[in-house]
Amino acid sequence: MNRELKALGAGILTSGLALGGAFVFGKALQQQARADSHQLPPPAVSGQGSPPMSTPEMVAAGRKLFLNSCAHCHGVDARGDEGPDLHDLQMSDRHIVSVIKTGFKDEMPSFAKKHSDAEISEILAYVRSLKDDPPPADAAP
Amino acid sequence: MDIPWAKIHGAATHLPLALAGCSWLFDAAGFALARRPAGPQLNVVGYWTMLLAGLGTFPAVASGLIMTKGEMLGSDLVRFHHLFVWPAFALLVGLATWRAIVGTTTRRRVFAGYLAVSFTAAVLVAGAGYWGGEMLLGN
Repeated sequence: MNRELKALGAGILTSGLALGGAFVFGKALQQQARADSHQLPPPAVSGQGSPPMSTPEMVAAGRKLFLNSCAHCHGVDARGDEGPDLHDLQMSDRHIVSVIKTGFKDEMPSFAKKHSDAEISEILAYVRSLKDDPPPADAAP
Repeated sequence: MDIPWAKIHGAATHLPLALAGCSWLFDAAGFALARRPAGPQLNVVGYWTMLLAGLGTFPAVASGLIMTKGEMLGSDLVRFHHLFVWPAFALLVGLATWRAIVGTTTRRRVFAGYLAVSFTAAVLVAGAGYWGGEMLLGN
């Protein structure tokens, strides 16, 4: 019985340490991501790297919408400012659309009322096209 | 060189996901067959799979945090994912620690409680996997 109780205490302690460690690690990564954000001139619009259903026209339209609604926080080059860098997002199209529509509590507003589904698709096409943007010059090794 | 963190996270998460479920199955079978020769042996398998599941949560969580640049809650699908991830992570680490100290089996009533908690952990980690899959692969 004694051993089981000691083991329970050790389990709770280890769980707490693991969660605390994950929290500290996450915070450190957030700070690193902010530090790595850059403000650069806007990249040339390109259809390369965009979703299969997107067209260069969609990407261009998406860039205009992005500059009006998103660049304030994500930077005109989408490399992040207050908001994160949007290059090479490793998440599904559905999730990106959902984030644009829903936002993040206390971090990012919802754009569901401001933009139609078609406009959000254009923003998505632009964000996906960023994957092939060259990295900032000062990020080179 | 771009490190494919999404793929690494996907690969890393399947270890605790599979092992947590397997551990519960082996332990439950061992519990049910406690008076047969196979019972204790099944608990030995449940013991080691739980220890590996607990250890496997660390690369899974670390790669997820790196992939999302430190996102710990988020909204929508990410929030759903994280609402399962953090309790599952805490439970699996705690259960693996408890089991490492207690051993392959213990008094029947205590072990029944352990089985209930490890079942909860297995369900939570499966839920985390489901929402993680929806995020990366959903339409």
